[in-house]
Amino acid sequence: MSAGVTERLRRLLFLVPYVAKHPGVTVDALAQAAGVSKDTLLDELELLTLVGHPPFQPDDFIDIYVEDERVYVELDQRLSAPPRLTPNEGVALLAAAELLRPVASDALSLALTKLERALPPGALEKAQALRRQLDVKSDAPPDTQTLHRAITQAREVTFDYLTLGRGDTERRRVQPLELKAVRDQWYLSGFCLTRQDVRLFRVDRLSRLELTDTPFTPRTQAPSASREVEPSAPVKVRFAKAAAPYVRERFGDGVRELLSGDVEVHLSWATESWLVPWVLSFGGDARVVEPAWAVDAVRRGAQARLDALPTSTA
Amino acid sequence: MEKTERLLDLLALLLEAKGPVSWARLKELFRDDYGQGTEDAAQRKFERDKAELVELGVPLEYVVQDDEVQGYVVDKAKYYLPDLGLQADELAVLYAAGSAALAQGLFPGKEALQAALRKIAFQEGPPPKPSVRVQLDALQPARVSSTLEQLWTAIATRKSVTLNYYSPKQDSVSKRTVNPYGLALRRGSWSLVGHCQLRGAVRTFLVHRVRALEVNALKPKSPDFEVPDGFSVDAHVASWPWQHRFHEPVDALVELGGELTALQPALLPGARPVDGERTHFRVTVTNLSGLLKAALSWGPKARVLSPATAVDDERQAMQRVLRAHEETR
Repeated sequence: MSAGVTERLRRLLFLVPYVAKHPGVTVDALAQAAGVSKDTLLDELELLTLVGHPPFQPDDFIDIYVEDERVYVELDQRLSAPPRLTPNEGVALLAAAELLRPVASDALSLALTKLERALPPGALEKAQALRRQLDVKSDAPPDTQTLHRAITQAREVTFDYLTLGRGDTERRRVQPLELKAVRDQWYLSGFCLTRQDVRLFRVDRLSRLELTDTPFTPRTQAPSASREVEPSAPVKVRFAKAAAPYVRERFGDGVRELLSGDVEVHLSWATESWLVPWVLSFGGDARVVEPAWAVDAVRRGAQARLDALPTSTA
Repeated sequence: MEKTERLLDLLALLLEAKGPVSWARLKELFRDDYGQGTEDAAQRKFERDKAELVELGVPLEYVVQDDEVQGYVVDKAKYYLPDLGLQADELAVLYAAGSAALAQGLFPGKEALQAALRKIAFQEGPPPKPSVRVQLDALQPARVSSTLEQLWTAIATRKSVTLNYYSPKQDSVSKRTVNPYGLALRRGSWSLVGHCQLRGAVRTFLVHRVRALEVNALKPKSPDFEVPDGFSVDAHVASWPWQHRFHEPVDALVELGGELTALQPALLPGARPVDGERTHFRVTVTNLSGLLKAALSWGPKARVLSPATAVDDERQAMQRVLRAHEETR
């Protein structure tokens, strides 16, 4: 259909005001701002020089030109700002914003109210109708909001942190730097004053969080991804045919197909505290092949769970 | 004249005009475009152009003033993006959300989202340093990305789609024709909710299991279906494994001992504490085996204590694990 024309026009209506606001912007910077390649941009600038209004006297044209790789426009009052958000743009932005709802619900609500005001009349109803069809919900542990506030206000936090494997909790004092979510699993990276090093914490493993009044200046070093680790080793796990499709979905090309229809996954690292519960959760459809310590660990784990079950349930 | 150029010319003219521009005047000014052929065809062409501009957010209207002056106007006050007055923290979350959605292309309506972010950056300045990063993830991001884009177009234009849908349970692909009602994102996975013609009922499909997709190409301008009044996408998708709507809801009793007790809000959100038992929680589930699988993955201090079937299932599962690991010796 005319998606190409719409998209192109949308960009053109952005280009003129942008150049008017940033006279002499380089072609490269403009291409980046408009989200197109340099070649596409130059084509579009050429089209802009032909735009005017009928009956097309030279003075009526938009005077946009490139000189020494820089772009200028003779200020065109007609296109001094981009148009308002369209319903589709509004919906895309409102839906995407939901990704951050668990971290910053207050800032988000205020921002969304302001955005809704920037939609053209009539577009709001259309956007709200479409919005019901694009339903984004993001989950995060309740502490995430406090951690975000601590980052934006640069205040130290203290919390109990559970190190799985050791199975104990320890009070930590941390200068929080960044929150990161991968498929709704939230992590905090920060400088741990208890450990005197940059650390990555799983937000769902911290408790009794307190936001202190102690300010800090974020250190310049980039947060590393180092986690607190227990010893890990490579492990080979075989999955029965029934579980194989799910394992393929998760591991993709990392899966080795066996003639029996079973599949095998070679984990380059695994810790006992992670491996055992994970294998048990497959209820017999996953079997550790090697090494022997991991086979033993799974057997012990299953036996311990069996021993803890009530003797009769009927 | 090329269409893009004509639309821009039309907009430039209307933005500069002191009053409404009549249809007769437009035909005169755009002689090659609206001044040729039958009156009917010329009007249809103009209406298509007008719709295109309206779609882009241009408030283009036909007005009648004092019964005399009639014509087309673009209300300048409504055209330009106003100063949004966003605070630094508000801007930061919007940018963080926008870049998360765009990073791997795993969000529908990418072009619209990019355009929206460009407009905001124009008014409000460049993005501040992000303090939050959200990563959407998929094993085959390119395929999921294009499927999402096609589905979103089909949803917005209400066209039916034909899917080659993979079921891991059957380990096979089936062909389904679906009226797409909406998309939902839960815990990093996209679901399509729609009326499945094969099943004659509303069904939920995981977008990453769609192997191929075709949008009905017949009559692209006329919708194939209506979304039932009051339809809620949310009622058909689950956030947690124990919420997948397989069975009638049952109450389960879960023990989270030791250090897991404090983690309950994150592990088992919405669960109710049991009076007098600090480590016991009640939760309503529609997929008991999903709850058991999750509890097993939380380690030895997590247990499903009731209903009794869950205890029996755990016993059998652990016996199977033991048997599987005896064989390796």
